[in-house]
Amino acid sequence: MDPPPPPPVPEPLPQAEIPPPGGPPAVAVGTLNPPPVPPAPARVRWVSTVMLAAVLGVVVFGGYIAAGALSQPAGPPVSVAGVVRVQPLSGWELAGRFASPPGARLSRGSGNLDVAALPFNGSSLDLVREYVNQVLEPGAEQLSVSKEAESVRLRSGLSGVRIRYIGLFGKAQASIEGEVTAIVSPAGMGAIFDAWSPEALLQYVIDDIHRMIDRAQIG
Amino acid sequence: MMSVQPGPPVPPVVPVRPSLGRPRWGHQTSLFQLRQPAFWLFLAVVLATGYYTVTQQTLFQRISPSGWALSWLLLLLYALPIFAAVYLLDLYEREPLSLVVGALIWGAVAATTLAGFANEGWGFVVARIGGPEFASRWTAALTAPLTEEILKVAGVVLIALIAADEIDDVMDGFVYGAMVGLGFAVVEDVLYFIAIFGGTPSGVLAGFYVRVISSGLYGHVLYTGLAGMGIAYFVSRRHDATWAKRVAVALLLFLVAVLGHFLWDSPLLNFFPGHLNTVGEWLQIPLAAAIKGIPLLVFVIVMVKLARRRERGWLELALASEVGSAALTRQELGILLDPHARRRSRRDMRNRGGEGAARLLRRLQREQINLAMVRTRVELDDDPALVHQRAYCRSLRDALMAMPGAAPAMRPTEPPR
Repeated sequence: MDPPPPPPVPEPLPQAEIPPPGGPPAVAVGTLNPPPVPPAPARVRWVSTVMLAAVLGVVVFGGYIAAGALSQPAGPPVSVAGVVRVQPLSGWELAGRFASPPGARLSRGSGNLDVAALPFNGSSLDLVREYVNQVLEPGAEQLSVSKEAESVRLRSGLSGVRIRYIGLFGKAQASIEGEVTAIVSPAGMGAIFDAWSPEALLQYVIDDIHRMIDRAQIG
Repeated sequence: MMSVQPGPPVPPVVPVRPSLGRPRWGHQTSLFQLRQPAFWLFLAVVLATGYYTVTQQTLFQRISPSGWALSWLLLLLYALPIFAAVYLLDLYEREPLSLVVGALIWGAVAATTLAGFANEGWGFVVARIGGPEFASRWTAALTAPLTEEILKVAGVVLIALIAADEIDDVMDGFVYGAMVGLGFAVVEDVLYFIAIFGGTPSGVLAGFYVRVISSGLYGHVLYTGLAGMGIAYFVSRRHDATWAKRVAVALLLFLVAVLGHFLWDSPLLNFFPGHLNTVGEWLQIPLAAAIKGIPLLVFVIVMVKLARRRERGWLELALASEVGSAALTRQELGILLDPHARRRSRRDMRNRGGEGAARLLRRLQREQINLAMVRTRVELDDDPALVHQRAYCRSLRDALMAMPGAAPAMRPTEPPR
C-alpha cells in the first residue's frame, strides 16, 4: 500500500492573516539591535573614493615614475667611431671596445649593450639581416631569431627595426637571449644596438637599454 | 502634589536589553548603488581594464584555441567548488550575489590587469636598485605581494564603500576577499598556462597540475580572504573597538597576507624541482608547495573558525528570545547552531521520512535562520515581519510533522509557546 501523499508545503502566509501571538502589546526592545550604520556624509564618501583611486594610481604607475627617477644619465657619453653617441644610465659602465666593426660594450651586471657603427647602403631591415648572418649565426651553436621585425622610432626622429633572438654561443653553458636594433641614418651610416644577457635576465635591463637607445645620437 | 489619574492599561514595561553588538544581518544591499562614488570608480576601472582583459584573452585564444579552451574548462572545474565553498562558508547570512560577483569580477578583470602594469613598473625599480641578477631572484617576491595584495584588497574596500551595511563581520570580509582572490587566481592561471607552460594541451595539463592540483589551496584565495577579514574588522567593529585597534588589526592581517605571498614568491624555503623529468620530481611539487603554503592555510583556517564561532554566538543571541515560540524549539536551536547537527538531522529525516521530508526540514532550518535575520532587522517583538516569519516557520513545521515518518525524528522537546 502506498503511503499517503505528504501535505502540500505551505507558502509564506500573507501578513494580514496572521494574528500576533500573545495579544497586541508592543514590546520595545531598546538596543537589542545595533543602530543602523549612518550613511557617511557625501564629502566623506567622495574623499574615501578619491583616496582609494589615488592609492590605485600610485601602485600602478608609481613604479614607472620611481624607476625613471632612478635611471639618470651617469658619466660621459660613449662615442663609437664618431658616428654613434650613447649616454650610459646610472649603473652602466663601459666594459670594452672592439675594432671590426668599430664598437663598444656597455654593461650592468650580466646585462650588456653592444653598440657598433658602420657605413651601410640599404634599409634598416637589410642591416639587421646582415648582422644576424655575419655576426650572430657564425658565433652560435644554436640560434632562433624572431620572424617579424618590430619598427622603432628614436627620439631624434630616426626609425629602424628590432628583432629578438635566443641561442647558445661559444662555450657559454646558458642560453643567451638578445634584442638587436638596427638603424640607418640618411647619411648612410648604420648603427647596431645588440642588447643581450643570459636567458631570463634581459627583462630586468631592457627598460634601461631602450632608454639609452632612444636617446642615442646617430650621425 | 500631582495626582496620578488612572489611564488606559499600559503594556508591562520590558527592561531595555543591553546592546548585543550583533551584525545587522537582515539588511541586503546590491552592488548597484548609483549614488555612491565608489560604485562609479568600480565601474570605470572594471570597464577600462575589461577591454584589456578581453583583448588578452582573444590573443590567447588565437595563439592556442585548444589550450585556451582547456585552460578555462579545467579552471572552471576548480573555481566552481571553491566559489560554492566560500559562498556557503557564511552559514547564516549569505552575501548578496551581485556583490559577490562584483568581487569576483574585480579580482579577475581589474586586479589582474592593474597588477600586470604595477609589477612591471616596480620590477624596474628592483632591477635598477639591485641589478639584473638580484632582480631575477627577488623581483617577484618584492613586487607582487605588495602590489597585488593592495590591488586585490581595494576590491573589498570598494565593496565596503559601496555597501557598508553588508560587511557585518570578519566572515563577510573573508567571503568578499576570497572571491576577489579566486577571480584573480583563475585569470592569472590562464595567463600562466598559455604564456609559461606553452599553451599546448599537454602544457596546460602540466600547468594545472603545478598551479592548481599542487598549489591551488594556498594562493590568492587565502591572501585576499585574510586581507578582506582585516578590512571587515575595521568596518564592522566601530562600535566596540577603538579606531587605532581597528587599524592595527586590519594592517596586521594585511601584512600576514603579504608575508604569506612573499614567502610563496621568494627563493626562501624553495624546494621546487628545477626540472620535471622524473616521477619523483613531479611528486616533489605538491610537497614543496605544502611547505610554503600550509602555515598560512592553517592560520586562515583558525581565523575562519573563530569568525564562524562568533557568528554562531550572534545567531544564538538573535534567536534567544524566539526559543519556545511557535517558530523555534530549544532543540531546534541547538541543531541550528551546529552545522554538523544540521546535516545529521536532515540525513536522519531522509532515512525516516524520505527525500521530500529532508528537503522540507532544510527549508524549515533556512527559514529559522531567516527568522534571526528578521529579528536583527526589526525593533519590535510584534513587528508584522517578525510575526509573519514565526507563523511561516510554524506552518513549515506543521507540514513536516504531518509527513509520514517525519514526526518521530523532529518532535519538539517542549511545547510551542
